[in-house]
Amino acid sequence: MQLAIEDVSKRYGGENWALRNFTLQLGPGVLGLLGPNGAGKTTLMSILATITRATSGRVTWNGTDIASDPDGLRATLGYLPQDFGVYPNLNAVEFLEYLAAVKGLDATASKRRIDELLNLVNLADVRKRPLGGYSGGMKQRVGIAQALLNDPKLMIVDEPTAGLDPEERVRFRNLLSELSGERIVILSTHIVSDVEATATDIALISQGTLVAHASPEELLRRVEGKVWEWVIPSADLNAARQRHLISNSARRSDGVHARVLGDTPPNGAQPATPNLEDAYLYCLTQHRAGSANQPTEVGVLA
Amino acid sequence: MNSARVLYHMVRADFLERVRRYSFLLTLAGALWVAYGVATEQVWIVVGNGYRGVYNSAWIGALMAICCSTFLSLAGFYIVKNSVQRDTDTRVGQILAATPMRKDFYTLAKTLSNFAVLACMVGILMVAAVAMQLMRAEAHSFSLWKLWSPFIFFALPTMLLAASAAVLFETLPLLRGGVGNVIYFFAWTAAMALGATGFDDPTGLQLLYRSSRQTLQAIDPTGTDNFHFSLTIGGEHAVRTFPWNGIDWTANVLLMRVGWIAVAVALAYVASIFFHRFDPARSWFKRRPAGASTPQATTAPESASSSPIGVAHLYPLPKTQSGIPFFRIVAAELRLMLKGKRWWWYLVAAGLAIACVFAPFDAARGGVLVAAWLWPIFVWSPMGSREARHATESLIFSSAHALSRQLPAVWFAGVLIALLAGGGVGARLLFAGDYRGFSAWLAGAIFIPTLALALGVWSGGSKAFEAIYIVWWYIGPAHDIPGLDFMGTTPASSNAVPYLIATALLLAAAYWRRRTRMAYA
Repeated sequence: MQLAIEDVSKRYGGENWALRNFTLQLGPGVLGLLGPNGAGKTTLMSILATITRATSGRVTWNGTDIASDPDGLRATLGYLPQDFGVYPNLNAVEFLEYLAAVKGLDATASKRRIDELLNLVNLADVRKRPLGGYSGGMKQRVGIAQALLNDPKLMIVDEPTAGLDPEERVRFRNLLSELSGERIVILSTHIVSDVEATATDIALISQGTLVAHASPEELLRRVEGKVWEWVIPSADLNAARQRHLISNSARRSDGVHARVLGDTPPNGAQPATPNLEDAYLYCLTQHRAGSANQPTEVGVLA
Repeated sequence: MNSARVLYHMVRADFLERVRRYSFLLTLAGALWVAYGVATEQVWIVVGNGYRGVYNSAWIGALMAICCSTFLSLAGFYIVKNSVQRDTDTRVGQILAATPMRKDFYTLAKTLSNFAVLACMVGILMVAAVAMQLMRAEAHSFSLWKLWSPFIFFALPTMLLAASAAVLFETLPLLRGGVGNVIYFFAWTAAMALGATGFDDPTGLQLLYRSSRQTLQAIDPTGTDNFHFSLTIGGEHAVRTFPWNGIDWTANVLLMRVGWIAVAVALAYVASIFFHRFDPARSWFKRRPAGASTPQATTAPESASSSPIGVAHLYPLPKTQSGIPFFRIVAAELRLMLKGKRWWWYLVAAGLAIACVFAPFDAARGGVLVAAWLWPIFVWSPMGSREARHATESLIFSSAHALSRQLPAVWFAGVLIALLAGGGVGARLLFAGDYRGFSAWLAGAIFIPTLALALGVWSGGSKAFEAIYIVWWYIGPAHDIPGLDFMGTTPASSNAVPYLIATALLLAAAYWRRRTRMAYA
């Protein structure tokens, strides 16, 4: 089972490149796709889900170009888009039955699968309620269920935990981890903790290009010795932000505890254990600094 | 910020958002098409005993302006009746609702923005009027005032009225959807009839009627005994001309036109009373689900059951399938089409279907079938656009064989609805051995959902079908006009061939359009 993205670029009119020469090879496991707003994550997802065509380059699924056989991929694809709708007059069961029919699933088997999925996403109690009355989080769970309808070998989920409460978020993370054994899961998110909990691989993307593709452990190793905890008076925080890359700050009784990323520590700072958020910011900042005199602006994490 | 400035920015933003959409170009193209029709004498006014005015500035201006205020007040309404809906869809409405914006300002701004769009169309016809006079060269004198004053006093007030009616319809829950589109058509028809009864109608037809009659009386007194006045598309040609120098814009006449502007503004203010201010509690008015014992909240609360977190137990799916996948999609599409309809809708549909079987044959083939194939208009109208309307495109288009299975299934489900609704007439024609009538009926049963599907896929909404179908239904089947009767309601008007050809072309167009919407077919 292999998904290969080979030199893929996507241009939206004029010279607006959403993706540039993007290359990535994926096998079974969960790939966390991380990047700031407008990095090209959703465009990449849409190309992989056969929703939009790449301007150049190709994507192959088990060696077959998806442009020549899109249905080969679609038959084993589970896709949860970032923005999707539901039919408000249908209930969850009817909506999933509709999509099961469109996906060409067996009638008897899909009924059983729908029951399982509604239990899995915790919607069994409201299965007969019209979707028009569902909250955002409940609709999101319907979306998760539909992505799993056809027992997908490739799952593409774009911001899947948006709108979910903490309990449901944990449930979904567990679900992704369990499902990842025999399939490829691509998880696009702003939420680093979601990736931290589930991803076996991480791809950092910025300005339409691949910044890094590594395991979480490798990424963390890149920032070892580059994360510092610095206690400063709260009045000095703004000035410190001007001089250093600060990934996080917390107010304590002895002042502000700031996490500083850099090769050399500020005066009085102590080494800290890096986390994935530090690695993400560090890699992104390094990439921006290195690309065409871009300002070293730090992306804001949700 | 003062009120005028607030209003200006609300109108400006909405107007700019519209004119930068591709659909605005289509709107302008439509106006050009109307202008072309008038300039090439496919539309004209015949008065008295086959007279038309000499193509001078006054007559060309009046002709073009009347075309605007009649045809464009109908088409224009459907074009602009989406301004409030767009704010809902884009969720800009929720942001606006949280500002100090007044409701009457909002509806007035939407009216003015609608008006600005329609005024652009009128502007095109104003320019075309100049071109027409130069092309025709029947009169040597050129007066911009005479050419354009009918636009200013006839067309623009009517456009303002259509603009405010569109906002009013959007704010009234009952008229917001397809029902409103149908009701507007009949209201528009009634307004046209108003002009014929001598009432000073909003379009200005009555004013033009009186003025042209007065002028003609001086030239040909015999022609005014049973004075004939008609705005014609492709009908009888005028054989004689008479000079007409325009309407005398007296204070009374102008006051009357200002009166219609006042009506339009009043409608905009009435709309503000019903405007929901994007309150979801007021837009969610579906019936309560069966078994619910308490009134339904705006949105259902999050499920509170606390089953243990985790563990995905999914049984593997079989490799083989039971049944034919295509017919499962057809069944699913049928359910989607019919879900949410109330019991009385089914009752009326069943009554009409039964009447098709048992009513006297001529009545069944004529009136009953005409009604039976109008009743499901809102079942057909979302065909082809439901996926865009409800943002399910990405879910459906990423499924295997979506183009080759789902689109034909939608079409087939629509045809089944037509067959069920008017099947009685088809069966009676077949058993009576009237194969010509049967083939015309069958062509109609296939043509209607195909038209809905093609217009839905192309326009991305249900409004185009609702507007075109109701007008066509009224002119064709309801009045047995042979060339336009797609239902074959009489032996004389039964002709299957053109509608079978049209069906094939529309199907191809729908397929092609959907194919281009998908990255990979």
